[in-house]
Amino acid sequence: MSFSRIMSAALRGMEVIPVQVEADVSNGLPIFHMVGYLSAEVKEAGERVRTAVHNSGFTLPAKRTVINLSPGNVRKRGTSYDLPIALSILIAIGELDGIRLQNCMAVGELGLDGNIRGVHGILPIAARAKEEGVACLIVPAANEPEARLVEGLRILGIDSLQDLCYKLKTGTGMIGTIQKKRESKEEQVMESSVDFADIKGQQAVKRAAEVAVAGHHNLLMLGPPGGGKSMIAKRIPTILPSMTWEESIQITKAYSIAGMLSQEHPLVTVRPFREVHQTATRTSLLGGGAWPRPGELTLASGGVLFLDELAEFPKPVLEMLRQPLEERIVRITRSQGTYFFPADIMLVAAMNPCPCGYYPDYNKCICSTGQIRHYQGKISQPFLGRMDICVEVPKVRYEDLSGDGPEETSAAIRYRVERARKRQMERCRDGNVKYNAQLSGKEMEEHCRLGKQEDQMMRQAFDRLSLNARTYHKVLKVARTIADLDGEEQIGMEHLQEALIYRSIDKKYWGNL
Amino acid sequence: MGKTSEMEYEWWFASVKPLSDKKKRLLRETFGNGKDIYKKLYNIEEKHFHKIRGLTDKDIQVLQKSARTVEIGRAYEEALVRGIRFVPYFVEEYPRRLRKYQGMPYALYVKGKLPEEDRPTAAIVGARKCTPYGEELAILFAEQLALAGVQIISGMANGIDGAAQRAAIAAGGMSFGVLGCGIDVCYPRENRGLYTDLQQHGGVLSEQTVGTPPLREYFPARNRIISGLADVVLVMEAGERSGSLITADLALEQGKDIYALPGPVTSVLSRGCHELIRQGAGILISPEILLEDMELDGDFINNLHDENKKVLESNENMVYASIGLFPKSLSGLLAETKLPAAELMRTLVSLEIKGYIRELSKNYYIRT
Repeated sequence: MSFSRIMSAALRGMEVIPVQVEADVSNGLPIFHMVGYLSAEVKEAGERVRTAVHNSGFTLPAKRTVINLSPGNVRKRGTSYDLPIALSILIAIGELDGIRLQNCMAVGELGLDGNIRGVHGILPIAARAKEEGVACLIVPAANEPEARLVEGLRILGIDSLQDLCYKLKTGTGMIGTIQKKRESKEEQVMESSVDFADIKGQQAVKRAAEVAVAGHHNLLMLGPPGGGKSMIAKRIPTILPSMTWEESIQITKAYSIAGMLSQEHPLVTVRPFREVHQTATRTSLLGGGAWPRPGELTLASGGVLFLDELAEFPKPVLEMLRQPLEERIVRITRSQGTYFFPADIMLVAAMNPCPCGYYPDYNKCICSTGQIRHYQGKISQPFLGRMDICVEVPKVRYEDLSGDGPEETSAAIRYRVERARKRQMERCRDGNVKYNAQLSGKEMEEHCRLGKQEDQMMRQAFDRLSLNARTYHKVLKVARTIADLDGEEQIGMEHLQEALIYRSIDKKYWGNL
Repeated sequence: MGKTSEMEYEWWFASVKPLSDKKKRLLRETFGNGKDIYKKLYNIEEKHFHKIRGLTDKDIQVLQKSARTVEIGRAYEEALVRGIRFVPYFVEEYPRRLRKYQGMPYALYVKGKLPEEDRPTAAIVGARKCTPYGEELAILFAEQLALAGVQIISGMANGIDGAAQRAAIAAGGMSFGVLGCGIDVCYPRENRGLYTDLQQHGGVLSEQTVGTPPLREYFPARNRIISGLADVVLVMEAGERSGSLITADLALEQGKDIYALPGPVTSVLSRGCHELIRQGAGILISPEILLEDMELDGDFINNLHDENKKVLESNENMVYASIGLFPKSLSGLLAETKLPAAELMRTLVSLEIKGYIRELSKNYYIRT
């Protein structure tokens, strides 16, 4: 046989595109030619593959060898084509049994000695392989645990080319083993050195954080320096609810593409908490680059993105967050097409109300009105409108610091959060939306119906507190979460009132000196 | 040249920079009018100038250069088209109140009207950065004075100045803004609305020539015009080094009555006022008492001391009582009222919806 074909996969943003790797070895001048819209690193694969094949004990005949990667309109990047190219050549020259590799997909990078090294993006490739119904997915041994996160897929992990050839020559029947369905996922409780019990006082802020986490609402903390805004933010991971298997897989996929997984425990089991510094660029936050890669928003998807000192971020960078915050997806448009990355984040932000941090304490604040206005002007009203919960983090009082009354632990708060999340999931069992912050207009009509008295109050609040359509809906969603925390089916007055206290800042009054 | 009116020469002479007002007056008194000054300069008859004591060679050079380069009449006509009036010290219209003092401007540029001579005037001045307390009381006094027919003079700045002038206009009174920049420059820009309103209900005036940018050094000087135009000067809120204290000092030199608004002794922004009171300034207790001192009758709709007749439930009453014109935080109120958090939030929202309080900054509340 002089022609062979094996499957591989190309990554395009978060998307996986199946690629056919074809090899043809025929008579003619002894050249080695690769085609198929290849990037520089894929072209280099030729040298690696020939050397690796040679070092694995095979002899390449002096014939005309042509490799084609199709479809030809998808740019092939990365080193994961080394293995499928080597396999297709070996089949074409008759060294391997093509029948046993029929309908198999292979990814992996080759060393010159024939060893196979791990590559990025295995989980999304494995998931796609299952959809495509491939017979077996051949992956580097280093990536095998990651590939095995996909249930019901036949997987073979290999160390080297010789290893694979040995397995093919000795065994019979199908190669690889099927990953069985897991009974239950290993519950991994994050061990943390911090706990909400470390924070003395600040009951109102802790409560706001609990509500925010329970409904996946964005949280903005405002206050003077030393109030503990960053301390509170850093403890939010300790009360984040556990994840479902699907959520875990979704998050792991993004980390897989970014190449940020550990080999031994590839599954991300705790919700991400990403803190971003003010020097962050648009690309690092949203993702991008010539070949778009996931940014911090995607890496924080399903968890928390924390922006400390919000006003110090360049305004254009913050404004870029507006669309992903609303749609929960990042779109990156390039001439080759649009890439989509998940961005289902809970944004936690902290800032001072003015440059010195003490406004509106007139005795302490040393800023001029212009300075305060300028500082607050760094955050636009549309951005503020996207913060579901705004809360003041006051200076800690001595009585609180010195008080030795026991503070509530993260575990206790987390217990309530889990309960509230469970209620939300039960409510939306059939729909895709899971958390209150993600409710659509139609779902809100169903789940956030107000009684007569409540409706009347909101009508007054709408005018008096100059709410707009967006802030009104945010208040309703937050009220829904508070009701869930209380275990109530119906949103009551007390829930709405608390949600109104948390409503986003209205610039008209903010800093109106 | 034949058509050029006398006033056009006067405009030119008033706008020569940098020549002090004092020297301008001296020159004009010597030569009688701006036209003669111009003609003599134009015809290089310097000997007339060298005779004048106090005039340096440099001053003469400046004048000569200006006379030879500036096109007479053009700027004046442009200003007339834009509704700017030119009021030099020797015309009838020049405020009588200013004539009494030394060092008053050579000329004023006016948009709108000048304060009426026979109506009482009061200057309300204070910090740009003021507390809601200072703002609220500035509004109250401005309103009551305006209702009693008093014209309110101020500097059109942010904070106390602007609040008082807006309140005076809203009460149907007249108010006058003295600017530290050219009359055609609106500074601060946020006060554009006030700038136009003042021209309808009073006026804006400045001693600076048209187009002068708002430079820091011009502002202390304009305070002497504010105090000069006022019969009484009210200082609402002033820190230790506030510009309002300059106005008070100048007013004192001019022999005006000064009143200061007391605040909490702990408030940094009331320190200047307290110092004025210590030095013997009048104390602002209520508009009635002030008007009594000014021998005026007021029409009082006073809400300063209303012992809230509002019908509130007991918790609302307690929370409302704790909130004043200095912002209180949610945490502060929690500690003060000892109410459970949920109950306090409920009460705050309810008071907010009823319009008794408002949120100043996040979770900081003041009375409306």
